[in-house]
Amino acid sequence: MKRSTLTLALLTLPLAPALAAEAPYRDMTSYIDYGKSPKASDDAKHTNTYQYWKDNRKIDPEISNSLTDFWKVNWKYRDAPYDDTLHGGHDALERGEEVYKQLNAKGDFAACLGAKKGDLKGLRLTYPRFDKELGGIVGLEARIEHCAARQGMKLENGSYDNTAVSVYVTSFSNGMPLKIDVTREPMKSAFERGKKLFHTKAGWTNFSCATCHVSLVGKGLRGQIPTTHYGDIGHWPTWRSKDELQSLHVRFTECNRNAGVQPLKVGSPEYHDIEVFMTALSNGMPVTVPSQRD
Amino acid sequence: MKHTLLALAVMGLAGSQAARAADSLPPNILYDAAREKKTIWPLPVRNSGELKYNEHRQDLSRWPTLSYQDKRDTKRPEKVELQGPLNGNAENGKKIAMNTQRGNCWACHVLPGDPQGGTGGPPLINVGTWGYSDAHLYQQIWDRRVANPATEMPPYGSNGVLSDQDIRDVVAYLQTLK
Repeated sequence: MKRSTLTLALLTLPLAPALAAEAPYRDMTSYIDYGKSPKASDDAKHTNTYQYWKDNRKIDPEISNSLTDFWKVNWKYRDAPYDDTLHGGHDALERGEEVYKQLNAKGDFAACLGAKKGDLKGLRLTYPRFDKELGGIVGLEARIEHCAARQGMKLENGSYDNTAVSVYVTSFSNGMPLKIDVTREPMKSAFERGKKLFHTKAGWTNFSCATCHVSLVGKGLRGQIPTTHYGDIGHWPTWRSKDELQSLHVRFTECNRNAGVQPLKVGSPEYHDIEVFMTALSNGMPVTVPSQRD
Repeated sequence: MKHTLLALAVMGLAGSQAARAADSLPPNILYDAAREKKTIWPLPVRNSGELKYNEHRQDLSRWPTLSYQDKRDTKRPEKVELQGPLNGNAENGKKIAMNTQRGNCWACHVLPGDPQGGTGGPPLINVGTWGYSDAHLYQQIWDRRVANPATEMPPYGSNGVLSDQDIRDVVAYLQTLK
């Protein structure tokens, strides 16, 4: 009995790799010109809304209050310092500090995240990055999950507490411009993969991310108006006004569902590649947390 | 005898595994076979390190995903011929067009009686006066990629979203818009 099970396993295994060879057929939304080293200000050549959101201290209330034009400020009108109201993101910041201090009682949690001498300033700007230990591209939240597990605490990527710690760690980089380098490997390939995924159509709709955020940007979709995909990342994780603390990947699962596309697991390589792509498109924009948006 | 049976079993298993690999679901999707709708989504729970997973309203795993491990092809553009007379029910077609969970046409198109119709595609307020044949409209809804490979409009027929009769009904509805 034991022998025949083994025979079965041996005979069936070698078939798998041959099947993986050919890429499946997909439709694509056409690329716009992203260049090799994108930055948030490149949006001026795309939706040309950069002028309205580049400085979150100077948002024009006439535009942010307009039912037809508010999409042009790219949700920056709810960022501090323009908007200093209290919201759930502030609760998350406090909770994040509490959990962080518990984890970092001996200082090795900060070290595991990559902080030098426990200093969290600027740490957010080093993510997403290639992680030798984890063998792939990781965002801050994936690294938090890994480093918390080392301390014996389960902080599932995408969970409230994981995201709260991310908001807390990110807050030390407030005001500092994002600056990931996608001109060198392995980040260069991650950027290219993310760019391709962003334009790849899937789901019952046969929509890509770019269907809404490139082809239909600024168009009315029954009360929703898709915004530019430039300049977004500086205020993530964010507090959604539907009362939910969301990491970027949790948001991706919602984007996918809204577009009729099967969501992937939080922390998957695909979502990390899209994170690299979108972070590069936010280069130059300052980190601004806690934030809120619809 | 025993050996032949085993060999047959091995061949059968290998064959079905080969068939499954091309059609099977990628492992890194949010999917729970035990739930009715299969597709699940993560909800962060305040002051918890774990996610709660809710069921989506629809099984989305039936269509290609963004997973690198998804080997299923997207349906290629399909050219179709409308068979026989249209026989569409315009009233039913309107219900399909103006239902967010079915045709959802109003997400991108302005239709009469909808104050917040979308602007992703052209307004269809008077599409019945544009002089399009039933067969043309049928093809556009079934799969508009045949006319325009770069279209962002969902291929309702090719992707199995709307049935032949559903599309006949929507065409009948559109032809009444004058």
